[in-house]
Amino acid sequence: MLSSKRQAVFALTLTGLLLPFLGMAQTLAGRVIDAANSTPLIGASVIWLGTSQATSTDANGHFTLSPAPSGETAVLISYIGYKPDTVQVQGRAHIVVQLRSATAIQEVTITGKQDRYSALTPTNSQVITAMDLTKSACCNLAESFETNASVEVSTSDAVSGAKQIQMLGLDGAYTLMTTDNVPALRGLATPYRLNYLSGTYIDAIDIIKGTGSVLNGYESISGQVNVRLKDPEKTDKLLVNLYGNSLAKWDANVNTSFTLTPKLSTVLMLHTDQLNHRVDNNKDGFLDLPLGKHYNAFNKWRYDTGKQWVAEIGVQALSETRTGGQVGYRSGMPQEEGSFYGTESETERVSGFSKTSYTFKNKPYQSIGLILSAARHDFDSHYGPRTYDGYQNSGLANLIFQSAFGNTAHTYKTGVSYQYEDFQENLAGQRLSRKERVPGAFFEYIYQNSTNLTLVGGVRADHHNLYGWVYTPRFNVKYDFNPNSILRLAAGKGFRVANPIAENVASLISNRAFYFQNNLQPEKAWNLGGSFTQYFEVGERKGAFITDYYYTTFQNQVVPDMYSSPYQITFTNLNGRSFSKSFQAEVQYELTSMLDMKAAYKYFDVRTTYNGELLQRPFIPNHRAFLNLGFATPFDKWRADLTAQWFGTRLVPSMEHDMNQHESAIMTRTVHPYAVFNGQITRAFKRWEVYLGGENLLDHKQKNPIIAADRPFSQEFDASMVWAPVIGRVIYAGLRFTLK
Amino acid sequence: MKTLKIWMLSLVLTGLASVGFAQGGKKGEEVKIKTSAVCGMCKATLEKGLAYEKGVNKATLDVDSKVLTVSYNGEKTSLDKIKKAVNELGYDADNSPATPRAYDRLDACCKKDAVH
Repeated sequence: MLSSKRQAVFALTLTGLLLPFLGMAQTLAGRVIDAANSTPLIGASVIWLGTSQATSTDANGHFTLSPAPSGETAVLISYIGYKPDTVQVQGRAHIVVQLRSATAIQEVTITGKQDRYSALTPTNSQVITAMDLTKSACCNLAESFETNASVEVSTSDAVSGAKQIQMLGLDGAYTLMTTDNVPALRGLATPYRLNYLSGTYIDAIDIIKGTGSVLNGYESISGQVNVRLKDPEKTDKLLVNLYGNSLAKWDANVNTSFTLTPKLSTVLMLHTDQLNHRVDNNKDGFLDLPLGKHYNAFNKWRYDTGKQWVAEIGVQALSETRTGGQVGYRSGMPQEEGSFYGTESETERVSGFSKTSYTFKNKPYQSIGLILSAARHDFDSHYGPRTYDGYQNSGLANLIFQSAFGNTAHTYKTGVSYQYEDFQENLAGQRLSRKERVPGAFFEYIYQNSTNLTLVGGVRADHHNLYGWVYTPRFNVKYDFNPNSILRLAAGKGFRVANPIAENVASLISNRAFYFQNNLQPEKAWNLGGSFTQYFEVGERKGAFITDYYYTTFQNQVVPDMYSSPYQITFTNLNGRSFSKSFQAEVQYELTSMLDMKAAYKYFDVRTTYNGELLQRPFIPNHRAFLNLGFATPFDKWRADLTAQWFGTRLVPSMEHDMNQHESAIMTRTVHPYAVFNGQITRAFKRWEVYLGGENLLDHKQKNPIIAADRPFSQEFDASMVWAPVIGRVIYAGLRFTLK
Repeated sequence: MKTLKIWMLSLVLTGLASVGFAQGGKKGEEVKIKTSAVCGMCKATLEKGLAYEKGVNKATLDVDSKVLTVSYNGEKTSLDKIKKAVNELGYDADNSPATPRAYDRLDACCKKDAVH
C-alpha cells in the first residue's frame, strides 16, 4: 500500500516536472559548438527545415528557436566555414550540435547523389556530379557537358576534331576554366584543351554563370567552369576504364590511390586515347577525325594534418599528336598543289600547382592560403602549307587571407596575386610574342544574415605591364524568399587579352589570309544578370525550376571577321557594339522513383558589329531545347540515359560572293533546325560496370562541311564553316573496374 | 564411462553443429545485425552496398535502432560474408569492427560520433 502511494507521488512529481517541457515542447533551445574543440560558434544559423523561421546563436553559442510553424521536426544548422548539418529534434527541447569545420581549401566531398542546383552558393551554380559523369561516354571534358543544359559543346571545324565550349552564347575563351579552383589551360592551350582532362580524372564539375568571384583573376566574362579533380583521400584504390567506339578509337584509364600515412595520400591518374584507323564516312576525301595518340598523366598529393594545415600538390604531363586532312595524306608529304592536304600537330605540356592553407586555432573562419601554379605549353603544327608553332610559359601566385569582422555575418577575403605569362607564336613566318607581368590585389566582402540574404562585393586592381591599371568590380546578391525560392543577381566586369590565332584555330584550316589590325586592345566586358530558382514538390516528388537571364556587353572585343571576305580573316578592335543576351529556363523533376527528367529551353541573341554593321553572329541559333531522361532501377543496377538537343534555325555565312555587291555586307543564309540524340545504358555489378552507348543516334550530318574539299590548295578551300555534326552515328562500349 | 560421456557429448555437439550449418544453408534466411549506422545517408549506403552482394535478397536498416535486417540465400552467402560486407562499407556489424579505410572515407555525418 505504502509502496503504491509512493509510486503515485513519484508519478505525479514526474508529471509535474515534465509538464512545463511538454507544454513548450515546440520551442527548441540548444547550443552549437565546434566538433573539434567544443568552442561555441557565434552567429551560427538555426532554421526549421523547409521554413524561413530561423534564429542565430549568441556569444556563448546558445540559441532559442520559437515553435515550428507547421510541425517541422528537423532543423538545419549552418555556419560559414563549417559543414551544415540537419538534426531531427522530434520530442526534444534541447539539443547540442557539433559542426565540423569544412577544410580550409574550398572543396566539397561528393558521395552519391548530390543536389545539382546548389541552394547555398551566392552565384548561379550547377554541379555535374560524379554520377552524371558516368552518364555519357567517359572520355574527356568535352563529353562531360553532354547531360548539362548550360554549357554547349560544338565542333570547331571539319578537320581537326577540336571541340569548344560555349556559355551564354559566347565563345569558350570567355569562360574561365579552373581545376581545383586554380586557373588552368588558358591561352595557347585553348584549341584542344577539352581533351587534356580525362573524364576519369574528374570528381565533379561546377558551372558558375556570370562573372563570379574576383579571387581567380579578372578573366571570366561569361562564367567559370571549375573541374574538381579526384581527391586522393576519398577516391577509389583502383579504377580501370576501357572504352572503344565504332570509329576504332579507344581509350584506357587507370587511377590508383594510396594513403601513405594517415596524413599523406596520393592519387596517380593515367590516360591514353588512340585512333589509328582512317575514317571518311561522309566521303569528302577528308578524315572525319584526325588520327591521334595522346598520353596523359596526373599525380596529386594531399597532406592534411586534420588540424590547421592542409596542403595539395598536383603535377600533370601530356603529349599529344594529331594527323588529319585528306585520306591519302601521310606525315611529311609536301603541302602544295598535286599532293595531299594534311594537318599535323604535336603538343607537349607540363603543369603543376600547389595549394597550402593554414586555419587559425580556435578561429575556424580565419585562414590564410597560398596558391602557386606554373605551366609550360609547347606546340608545333601545320595546317596544310601553313605552319603554326609556339609556346607559353605561365606562372601564378595567389595569396588569400580570409577572416571576419566582429562576427561571421561579415566575412571577407583579401589578398595579392602575381601573374606571369610568356607567349611566343609563329604563324607562317609571322612572329608574335608578348610577356605579361601582372601584380594585383583584391578584396571581397561577404555579408550573410542568419536567414535569407547574402551579399558579395568584390573588387580587384591589377597592374598590367602592357595595358596599365585594370579595375575589376563584381557583385553578387542572393535572396531567399523562403528556402524554396531563391533569387540571385550578379553584375561584374571582365578583362582579358585575346589570343586571336589560338582562339580561331579552325580558320587556319582554310586558305584565308590572316590580317591583324595594329594595336589590338584587350577585351573588356560587363556582364549583368540574375537567376530565379524554385524548388518544388509535386506528388511527393521533388523538382527544381531555374530560369536565368544574362546580358553581356563588350567595351572592346577582338572581332574575328571571316565573313566579309571568303579569302581572309581580319582581327580588329570592336568598332561599335557587341553583346549577348541569353535566357534559359530549365526544369528538373523526378517523374517516378526510377525516372528523372531535365528539360531546358534557351534563347540567345548575340550580335557584333562587323565593318560598321551590327549583325547577328553567324552560327549561333536563336532557339535551343534540351531534354534528358535518366532511368535507374533501385540501387542503380541498371541505368539508362537519353539526351536530345534541338537547335533552331540559324544564319550561316554564304561564301559564294557576288563581286557586284558591296564588300562589307555579310552574305548569310538560313539553315534548317536539327536534333542530336545521345543514349547510354549501364549495368553495374559490385566492382564492374559495363556500358554501351551511342552518340548522334539519328546520324545527322552536315552535308559538305568543307568548302572546296576537292581543291584543298585553292583559295576557296575552307573547313571552318561548320554548324552541325561532321561525324555521324558513333556506337561505343566500355567497362569500368573499381576497387574501393 | 567417462570416455563414453565425452563421446556422446561430442556426437551431440557435432549433430547440433551440423543442424546449425544446415540452417545456415537454407535459401530464405534472415538475420538482424546491429550496426554503427547513424543517419539516413548511412541507410542508403548500407542498403545499396548490400544490394550488390551475392546472395543478398534484401537489406533494410532501421536508423533508430541501427539494426540491419538482411534476407539472403544461405546457399550463396553466409553471415560472416554479410558482416564483412557491412565492415567494408565503413560500419561495425555486431562485434566485428568497420574496415578503417572504409570508415575514414565516410562522410562526416555518417561517422559514429556524429551528433544527430
